[in-house]
Amino acid sequence: MVTWLVRAGGRSSIDDAKRASRLDDEGFNVAISWALRKGWLHVEKADNATLLVARKEPEEGSDERLLATLDAGPQAFKDLSPPLLVALTDLRKRPHVVLQQRNVKRRYILTEAGLQAVKAAEKAPRAVSQLTPELLRSGTWRGLKLRTYDIQAPVEALWPGKKQAYKRFLDDLKWKLVALGFKEMEGPIVEFAFFNCDALFMPQDHPAREIHDIYYVKHPAYGDLSSYSTQVRHVQATHEDGWHTGSTGWGYPFSTETTRRLILRSQGTALSARMLVNKDLEIPGKYYSLSRCYRPDVVDRTHLTEFNQVEGIVVGDGLTFRDLLGVLKMFATEISGADKVRFRPDYFPFTEPSVELSAYTTEAGWLEFGGAGMFRQEVTLPLGIEVPVLAWGLGVDRLFMMKAGISDIRELFTQDLTWLRRQRLT
Amino acid sequence: MPVIDVIFTDLQRLIGVPLPKGRDALNDLLAYVKGEAERLEGDALSIEIKDGNRPDLWSVEGIARELRGVIGVEDGLREYAVTGYSGVRIDVDPRLETVRPYIGASVVKQVRLTDDVIRELMHLQDKLDQTYGRRRRRASIGLYNYRLIKPPLTYKVTRPEDVRFVPLGGTEELDLREIVATHPKGIEYGHLVTKHERWPLLLDAVEKVLSIPPIINSNDLGRITEGVMDILVEVTGTTPQTVLNTLTIVTLSLADRGEAIYSTEIHYPYGENRQVSTPELATHVVRLDVNQVHRVLGANLTADAVLTLLKRARYDARRVGEDALEATVPCYRIDVIHPADVIEDIAIMLGYNNLEPRWPQQITIGAISAVEAFSDVTREIMIGLGFQGILSFSLINEERLFTQMNVKDTPVVEIANPTSSRFTLIRNWLMPSLMDFLSNNTHVEYPQRVFEVGDCVVLDDASETGARTVRKLAGLIAHSNASFSEAKAVVDAFFLNIGFPYRLNEAAHHSFIDGRVGNIVVHDRDVGVVGEVHPRVLAMWGLENPVTGFEVDLSSLMDI
Repeated sequence: MVTWLVRAGGRSSIDDAKRASRLDDEGFNVAISWALRKGWLHVEKADNATLLVARKEPEEGSDERLLATLDAGPQAFKDLSPPLLVALTDLRKRPHVVLQQRNVKRRYILTEAGLQAVKAAEKAPRAVSQLTPELLRSGTWRGLKLRTYDIQAPVEALWPGKKQAYKRFLDDLKWKLVALGFKEMEGPIVEFAFFNCDALFMPQDHPAREIHDIYYVKHPAYGDLSSYSTQVRHVQATHEDGWHTGSTGWGYPFSTETTRRLILRSQGTALSARMLVNKDLEIPGKYYSLSRCYRPDVVDRTHLTEFNQVEGIVVGDGLTFRDLLGVLKMFATEISGADKVRFRPDYFPFTEPSVELSAYTTEAGWLEFGGAGMFRQEVTLPLGIEVPVLAWGLGVDRLFMMKAGISDIRELFTQDLTWLRRQRLT
Repeated sequence: MPVIDVIFTDLQRLIGVPLPKGRDALNDLLAYVKGEAERLEGDALSIEIKDGNRPDLWSVEGIARELRGVIGVEDGLREYAVTGYSGVRIDVDPRLETVRPYIGASVVKQVRLTDDVIRELMHLQDKLDQTYGRRRRRASIGLYNYRLIKPPLTYKVTRPEDVRFVPLGGTEELDLREIVATHPKGIEYGHLVTKHERWPLLLDAVEKVLSIPPIINSNDLGRITEGVMDILVEVTGTTPQTVLNTLTIVTLSLADRGEAIYSTEIHYPYGENRQVSTPELATHVVRLDVNQVHRVLGANLTADAVLTLLKRARYDARRVGEDALEATVPCYRIDVIHPADVIEDIAIMLGYNNLEPRWPQQITIGAISAVEAFSDVTREIMIGLGFQGILSFSLINEERLFTQMNVKDTPVVEIANPTSSRFTLIRNWLMPSLMDFLSNNTHVEYPQRVFEVGDCVVLDDASETGARTVRKLAGLIAHSNASFSEAKAVVDAFFLNIGFPYRLNEAAHHSFIDGRVGNIVVHDRDVGVVGEVHPRVLAMWGLENPVTGFEVDLSSLMDI
């Protein structure tokens, strides 16, 4: 631009100089400011116009020489002359003019071990992650390297199918009973008051038969007991005056309608009563039931309105109360793992003598584990059974709750899938 | 079972020897009366009596009476006898025959009462009313200040608006209808009389009201206070034996704190026995054979040993032959109706833990039932297919069984006396229970595969009970890609493994998506359903993943 100005007569307007320089606004301003600073031109004002004035063509300075040198390509510091180095210091203060790069060269020498590794790598086959049927079929896998994995890396959770935890416990129990020679009994959920109560010598106005203790079926309300008419007649007579049982009976008029009333089974003993009238009953025989029973309780931490009962009978000539204690002791040691057992007098309307079983374990102390007794003759004789019948029931819910570490009885029928998935099987 | 609140020192005083204070030792002793200390705080002792058939043990006096024998303070029969006729005659109105026909009464003189004893007495009265008296329907008790009463008494009926008196605890005279409407006991027991046009009423010779049985006594005559009192005990009820038994138990409790028992005479215009003297304190005799005791207990006891044990249980007992015994049963032992009841007392006094347990020698073969065996097989298959077993309630309600499954109400077994709106019906299929389960686990990692093998009840006119218990299996699969074919694959696998060929019949079932549901048919018998659950159903259960599943009637399959 200064050269053009000198050749154009040494004097020009700013606009003309800018047009001639073909620089943009910013570049032109930088050029003017440096040319002024180097004394290549100066500014004069005349007739309200600003003129640029240059007297001679500029000399080439060391900065121009440096730029010209760098224009040819990057230069190493060590190749620059001292004046150019001074110019570099100035130019580096100006933005976007020079770019400083540090070029480093390093040399490495392989050790003996490195040389070995290189030799091994030259021989190594191609590596793959996934073994495929194609690789196996073709035999290509022989020439391939299977990549190693990070075996500590987490994997997706798997939840195996398994039994519900409480059901699993009941299954264990069922097989223990089978191992002890007990056969399973069956019976309906909708049951006659006859088998649930009357055949068990519970008087028809007994408090345990009120609507607070038994669910009554709305419809159908009554069933047909005609297949058991003999037994019904004998039970009726037993309630009224003792019949041939050696008892005085309850001394009230027995209702054959009440006995046909349909209810939801409230105790597993109903199945035992049914077994005693079953033509398949074997004497001697041992029977158990694992039955869903129902009572009109409001569900809370300690009550369920339906629950499972484990009950059974031992039928046979010559059985005594000592045999019953033996059965209970066997249950306590085999099922609850008790170290000690304790018997105390108890009461059930259908047994005499009656006994309560407690089992002692070091973890849990004394646990009431069952109730039992010998069926009264008011129960057995009207159903046609002439031999003693030992009847027992086990309170297994509390045992399971203790083992599973739960304190809320509703958890027996848990709705918590996560808990079920995480239950240990051991 | 009745829980009896007693005063520890009072019990001790009645027994006559110090009692152990430690809970275990006390329970060892109370076990003889089938009792267990529920609470012992200071002098307040609550004992649960497990025997629902021995009201004689529902009082501190009764417990003491029995424990005196156990401990050995005394043995044999405790004699209770009527000293004489009190001069109280009660005339019964013929119209009571259909209202509340029976009454019994006694007079116990010189009863020493403190506030504590009165509380215990009220407690006994309440237990008898509630349990043995069947909430006062079968029997109810009234106690009166005998010295204020002018015999003879009249047990009659009245129109409720014709009689006014001040009820116990009240201050103003009310007519019977007002009493039943406002007095706490009237509200509780009023229903026993309001169904009748004329209500029972007990009056003395000068027409003073003793009570309206079985509701409430008069405040003037029926108030028991501290000090030494002569007490008239009255029991009314619906059966003569219950009335007499209840009267005996209350009379004896008072007699244990008083001097003498006097009888009353009841004159009935109906029934076989028109003139009855109460209380009846008669004992009866049970004949026993030592061999019979041995047959039941399995213990070799000598006749002498049995005699000793019987006396400890407060029977009188004597030998009447080589092995034959006679046991005199105390009048309060209303539970003794069979020799087995006496034999149990022998065993209790011997101590159950002194009998050596013996495993019965009979050989039997154990087995699970056919339906349980089949259920086990199906569980094995489902577990193998990766399903988590669940256990759910079989009681359900209409909303969950029908509405939320998008099906019409169908007849199922319905409970007449439900306790909760959640449990009013028995399910006739399992799938609603499984849907319920899924709806409770929407926040749990998917996929979810759950199954249940459980009982349902279906109505069946051909059954003796009008209903049939059926074992069913159902499985549900829930995840973002769950589809009909996934459930069908499970059904395929299931039937392959149980060895039944099956086919699917297209079906219309509104729980499932139209065209993605089929009935499972085996040998022309409909045994189940498989389908993809309808989004409307999913929405009602709050489920946001597709659900597909199946249900099979295992009981039907077993019949094929």
